[in-house]
Amino acid sequence: MTGLTEQWSDALAAAPQEPAPAWLRELRENAVGQFRAAGLPHRKVEAWKYTPMTVFDGLRLTAAEPVPAPVADLPPPLCESSVVVDIRDGALGEVPADLPQGLTVLPLATALERFEERLKPLFEAVELRGATRAFAALNTALATQGLVVHVARDAAGGSAAGRLLLRWGLSAGAAATMGQFRLFVLLDDGARLELVEQYLGSGEAPGDGAAGLNVLCQAELGAGARLSHTRVQAETEQAVLLTSTMLEQARDSRFVYRGFDLGAGLARHELTTRLTGPGAEADIAGAWLLDGRRHVDNHVSVEHLAPGCASEQFFRGVLGGRSRGVFNGRALIQAGADGSSVRQSNANLLLSPLAEMDTKPELEIYADEVEASHGATVGQLDEAAVFYLRSRGLTDGAARRMLTAAFCRAVTDRVADPILAERIGGLLDAAMPSGEQL
Amino acid sequence: MDKAMLKVRNLHASVEGKQILNGLDLEVNAGEVHAIMGPNGSGKSTLASVIAGREGYEVTDGQVLYRGRDLLELEPEERACEGIFLAFQYPVEIPGVNNTYFLRAALNAQRKYRGEPELDSMQFLKLIRGKLEILHISDDLMHRAVNEGFSGGEKKRNEIFQMAVLEPALAILDETDSGLDIDALKLVAEGVNRQRSPDRAMIVVTHYQRLLEYIVPDRVHVLSGGRIAASGDADLALKLEEEGYSWLAEGGIQALEGAETGSGGAGAAAGA
Repeated sequence: MTGLTEQWSDALAAAPQEPAPAWLRELRENAVGQFRAAGLPHRKVEAWKYTPMTVFDGLRLTAAEPVPAPVADLPPPLCESSVVVDIRDGALGEVPADLPQGLTVLPLATALERFEERLKPLFEAVELRGATRAFAALNTALATQGLVVHVARDAAGGSAAGRLLLRWGLSAGAAATMGQFRLFVLLDDGARLELVEQYLGSGEAPGDGAAGLNVLCQAELGAGARLSHTRVQAETEQAVLLTSTMLEQARDSRFVYRGFDLGAGLARHELTTRLTGPGAEADIAGAWLLDGRRHVDNHVSVEHLAPGCASEQFFRGVLGGRSRGVFNGRALIQAGADGSSVRQSNANLLLSPLAEMDTKPELEIYADEVEASHGATVGQLDEAAVFYLRSRGLTDGAARRMLTAAFCRAVTDRVADPILAERIGGLLDAAMPSGEQL
Repeated sequence: MDKAMLKVRNLHASVEGKQILNGLDLEVNAGEVHAIMGPNGSGKSTLASVIAGREGYEVTDGQVLYRGRDLLELEPEERACEGIFLAFQYPVEIPGVNNTYFLRAALNAQRKYRGEPELDSMQFLKLIRGKLEILHISDDLMHRAVNEGFSGGEKKRNEIFQMAVLEPALAILDETDSGLDIDALKLVAEGVNRQRSPDRAMIVVTHYQRLLEYIVPDRVHVLSGGRIAASGDADLALKLEEEGYSWLAEGGIQALEGAETGSGGAGAAAGA
C-alpha cells in the first residue's frame, strides 16, 4: 500500500457516519472497504497509465462537513441562466427556491427522501471494485454534499429559461482537502435541460498548495429527453480536478456535450454514456488548450446497446509548453445494436517540442450494418499557411494564433448558443498557448 | 531619390542545397510592369519567393535593395507592411479562417505598421465593395474559409483581390495565369491592369506569353539557368512564343533578333 493510499484509508476509517438511509450507510461502508482493499491506481493500470498520482500528494481527505464559504467573489456567471448554484471547495451553496415550473433542484440530503426510489439504484449502479474505481469509491464513501436536479416532462427547457448554471470554485491552501461532490440529473420522458458548468477558479489570488475536487455525476435521460451539457474549465495550475459523468439514455433521447479544458494542474474527465433505447443519440465534442505543465485527460466511452443509435466524439487539442494531453475514446457497439452510426475524431496540434499528446481510439463492434469512422492525428501548424498569413502582413505570432484559433473553432462552432460560443471563444483566445514557453 | 524601386544585384540563391539563382540582376522602377519568363526550373518562382521572404531559400551572394533598403534583412511581414505583395502560384487553403476576417486582419496589421488607424468591419466592407465587383468575388466567397474549396480561378481572383485591397507598391504575380481558362484570365488581367499606376511596380512571372497579351509589360526578361539571359520590350515575349525556349539550351541567344543579351553584367536587365 502506498503512503497516500494508507493515509487516505486511515482518513476514511476515521470518518464519522452521516445520517443517511440504512442502504446508503451500508454502501458507504462497502466503498471504504473497496478502497482499502484496492488502493489508488498506479501506472500499470492502463486507464491511469498517463496520469501521475504524485499530484494528489498534499491533498487531505476529510469526511468533515465542508464549511460553505461566502461565494460573492466567484468569477461572474459565464452565461445568462434562470438558476445559478454555487459549489465552493465541494460545499453546496444556497439552492434557489424560486425555480421554473417542472424544475426541481435539491441538496442531496433533502432529495434522498423525495427521490429515494430513483437515487438508490443509481448509487448502487456505480462500480466500486478495483483500483480504477478508487475515486468512485472515495466519492461514494465521503460525498455527503450533493445536488439533485429533476426535470419533469414538458418542463420548459432548451432556452435561457431552462438553463441551470453550476459555478464551481476551488481555493488552494496548504491544508487543502479533496472535496467530494455528488450530482444527479434526472430527466423524465420528453424533458429538457441545459446544464452549464463553469470551473473558472475561486476568484481569489491562487494560494500555496493544491486544491482538489472529485465530482461524480449520474444522469438519466428518459425517452425523448434532451440534455445539453456545456462544461468550461479554466482552473488555476494548483487545481486537481477529477470529474466523472455517467449517463443512461432511453429511446430517442439526445445528449449534447461541449467540454473545454483550458486550465488546472491536472484535470481528468471520464464521460460514459449508455445508449439503452433505440434511436438515442450522443453528440460529444470538446477541446483542450494547454500550456505550462498542465495535464488534461479525457476518457470518453459510448456504449451502443440498442439498434439505430448514433454517436459522435469530436475532440481537438492544442498543447504548448511542457503540457500533456490524454484522450481515450471508446465506442462499443454491442451485438444486436444494428444500424448504429458511430463517428470519432481527435486532432491535436503540438506547439512545443516538449508537449506531449497520447490519443487512443478504441472501437469495438459486435453488430451488423454499422456505419463507423474514426481518426486521430497529432501534428503541427501548417508552415505554408503561416507564411501565407505573414506574407500579407501578420506577424509570426499573430499568424500562429489565428491558425490555432481556427483549429479550435471547429469545436466552438458546435456550441449552439452564439453568445455562449463567443464567450468560450474569448476564453480560448486568452488561454492560447505559446509555442516556445517552457 | 533613386527612381529604382527594386534593385537585384548578382543574386545567388539555393534551395535545399541546390543552387537555383546564379547572379541575377534586375532593376524595376515605379510605374513599370516587368515580365519574367523562362522555362521550368529557370528560377522564376525562386526569385519571387526570395523577394517575399519565404523560408528555405538561402541567399548565398548578392543583394536585393527595395526603395534603397536591404530587403533581405526584413521579416516576410515587414516586407508586406513595406508594400511588397506576392500573388501565390498556389494560394494556401486555410480552414477555419474566414476570408473577410483574414483580409481585414492583414490590412489592419499593415495600417498599424504605418501608423494609420485600423478599420472596423463597416469601414472595411465599404472599402472592399467596389473591388469585389471588378474581380467577380461573391459574398459567398468572402464568407468562406480562405481559399478552402475555391476553384483554381477563384483562388487566383482572390489573390488579385487581396492585392487590390492591400494596395502594395511592388506586386509580384507568380504564375497567376496557370490553371486559368480564358475568361478567368481576362478577369484577372482586368483586375491587374486597373491597379497599374505611376507609383506601383509589378513583376509578372509567367511561363507563357498568353497572359502578356492582356497585361502588356514594359520590359520582358528571359530567365535561364538562374540569371537573366535576355531582356527586351513586349515584343520579346511574342518572339519567345514563336521560338520557344529551346534556343536557350542551345546557347543561341542571337536567334532572338533585337533582344538585348544578358551577359550577367550589372545593368544588363535594367530598365532602358
